[in-house]
Amino acid sequence: MNVTSIREQFPLIRAKPKLAYFDNAATSQKHESVIQAMDIFYRSQNAPVHRSVYKLAEGATEAYENVRNHVREFLNAKHREEIIFTAGTTASINTVVSGLAEGFRKGDRILLTDMEHHSMIVPWQAAAARKGLRMDFAPLTHDGRLDMPAFKTLLAKRPKFVGITHVSNVLGTVNPVRAIVRLAHRIGAVVLVDATQAAAHMPLDVRKLDCDFLVFSGHKVYGPNGVGVLYGKRELLKQLPPFIYGGHMIERVGREGAIYAEPPAKFEGGTPPVPEVVGLGAALTFLQKLGWKSIRKHEHKLTTYALTALQSVSGLILLGPTQTKGRAPIFSFALPGVHPHDGSALLDREGIAVRGGHHCTQILHESYTLSGSMRVSLGIYNTKEEIDRLVVALAKVRTKLYG
Amino acid sequence: MDRDIYQEEILEHYRHPRNFGAIKKPTYSSSAENPLCGDSIVLELRIKRNKVDDVGFTGSGCALSTASASLFTEWMRGKTLAQLRKAKPSQLFHLIEIPITPVRHQCVLLPLKSLQRALGP
Repeated sequence: MNVTSIREQFPLIRAKPKLAYFDNAATSQKHESVIQAMDIFYRSQNAPVHRSVYKLAEGATEAYENVRNHVREFLNAKHREEIIFTAGTTASINTVVSGLAEGFRKGDRILLTDMEHHSMIVPWQAAAARKGLRMDFAPLTHDGRLDMPAFKTLLAKRPKFVGITHVSNVLGTVNPVRAIVRLAHRIGAVVLVDATQAAAHMPLDVRKLDCDFLVFSGHKVYGPNGVGVLYGKRELLKQLPPFIYGGHMIERVGREGAIYAEPPAKFEGGTPPVPEVVGLGAALTFLQKLGWKSIRKHEHKLTTYALTALQSVSGLILLGPTQTKGRAPIFSFALPGVHPHDGSALLDREGIAVRGGHHCTQILHESYTLSGSMRVSLGIYNTKEEIDRLVVALAKVRTKLYG
Repeated sequence: MDRDIYQEEILEHYRHPRNFGAIKKPTYSSSAENPLCGDSIVLELRIKRNKVDDVGFTGSGCALSTASASLFTEWMRGKTLAQLRKAKPSQLFHLIEIPITPVRHQCVLLPLKSLQRALGP
């Protein structure tokens, strides 16, 4: 893979060649083809989808529905109706939680892990308060991996639901999702895999994983903001109550009530973000053309390089696994005496964009007794040279704050 | 050119914050959290004859929130309760002097949030 050529394909990276953009876990930059696809859609294809029968609208509907086929193939789902377009991961998770919780009873247990994002934790906390559910959090090992024996112990309490992130947005840990799904299914739990941080870095195969639900966002896979995916097994989606009520998600509406449409329409109430869906399709094409083999090779190299480089910074405390294996290119760390906000504000002066804070994982940071950390999350366009610059800049940060 | 938020005056307050630490027999105390980073500041006040007799803050924050708390607690000394209740965000921006970008307003305003909570509605 030629990184120079890749960098040329991202307009923002091309326009700001001196900026080391290290905030890809928050949002990635957009590939040229994504911006183009949306631009073309707005300029020459824009029309309402599904309902209007003139040619322009039929073209828009086709473009929209083609991406559904594309996502089905991207995730290796069995049926196209298993792919729901949402506003993003948060909307996807809320759809699942709200629907499942309706069928749960007081005392039912929910099993999450200490490395879940707030988007998994908070919807369940709200549902738990409403329905009297009990929540368990599986702890982590000292090197930031899921503590499997502890997880199994909690699984023995027979939770109705298991929510697990595929890749931690802070630690970079890749969880053994397939094994977790298998264990959870043995006790009859429904499993949701949060693939938000995995989708740009590794192939996803919902049939191989056998997960019940899987979610990710468009804007973290070099695609547009405001669009996400909810995959659900067909039978489960049929049973799951709708989340957003309104137009398009009905089969018939009368004064006495409404009959809901079948999935996917049932979960796509309102006018969908058609250009964003089209842009998402372009992003997936970009990833597939590049190929997982070369993406993984490049990111594997970057991961190994970054791990060594960061650990060479004196005093730096790396959260999460110290080895490349089972790790995505996401690195969070603390620098004693340097507040994450000061660190990231000062790195910005060196042309390095990193995130400082708790990254929507306060429970995780609490378990490290930290209020926040600095996070470097890499993407396909990042280079070793940028990591070298980071190491030099981190030393400067300390000098600036303490003289 | 923008003025440096990490100028020496700010960093000096960060390295050596004034009024840092708990005080004896506080009349009012409260904490506030910065949702941006999860930092929290605990502010304690002792009022004597309707005036701030002693003030202190604890907690760990970034350079901006620490410097802001340091400057703001200095300002608070000797002020009346009525004056404290009237304190506005502009007061803190005035004390810190340098222009602050919107995202980091919360850092500067954290001690004010603590004060408002301490005094109640």
